[in-house]
Amino acid sequence: MGHATIEWVYVGVVIAILVYIGADAWNVERLLEHVPEDAQVVRVTGQQWFWTFEHEDGTREIGQLHLVKGQPYRFEVTSLDVIHAFNIPDYTTMMDAVPGRVNTVWLVPDQAGEYLIQCREYCGFSHYQMRATLIVEEPGAEAEITNAAESVPSKGATAVAS
Amino acid sequence: MVSHSTIILLLIPAVAISLFGIDSAFAQESTERYILHRVEIWGLFYRLMVVAFVIGAVVMGSIFFVVWRFRESHPKNRSDITPAKTGGTHH
Repeated sequence: MGHATIEWVYVGVVIAILVYIGADAWNVERLLEHVPEDAQVVRVTGQQWFWTFEHEDGTREIGQLHLVKGQPYRFEVTSLDVIHAFNIPDYTTMMDAVPGRVNTVWLVPDQAGEYLIQCREYCGFSHYQMRATLIVEEPGAEAEITNAAESVPSKGATAVAS
Repeated sequence: MVSHSTIILLLIPAVAISLFGIDSAFAQESTERYILHRVEIWGLFYRLMVVAFVIGAVVMGSIFFVVWRFRESHPKNRSDITPAKTGGTHH
């Protein structure tokens, strides 16, 4: 086996592996794009510097989001001022919130508990405080969602008011 | 002698198919009704990390082999005609 042959072998192996990961990544992206038909819609609105969530039944929440375990949700994400990014790190979910545009992303919360929601796109002075809480509840044990007007505002919203 | 293009053409499907085979052999059947982003994305990430290290190992291994095998002092590269026998002239 000559000098050039071994080089061609590793060129071939590397190309094959790259073809494989390209196909694999494409396939996973394709799977994740498909939103389940029974997904409930939650409208997510970002603004400096807090998140507002509106459920299908019209219930609105500020700074916290109540979801039910095992139920798929489709988030329609938008912004009222500058570009934000709706991010739930524990559920590997992220989507840009762009003014004048509605982007969608979906997830199924599979574990009950409290999780962080944060802005993942620098959006101004209190960007680091633009956080909310995702509360995933067991089916049948959902707490009554507090009306947005009575809920405790997020730190970001407080910073705006002060 | 098999041509280089033939080697590449055979290697690409062979490696790709074997990787898919390994992937499906170790794949766990999901009992969930829905796809979980977290599982899929982290699974993809770990597979890509394995691939990255495999590529690194293949390339580095090949380079080490070529450097070791084709060095001047390798026994297979030594000729009976040495500078001492020819008076220092090259052939």
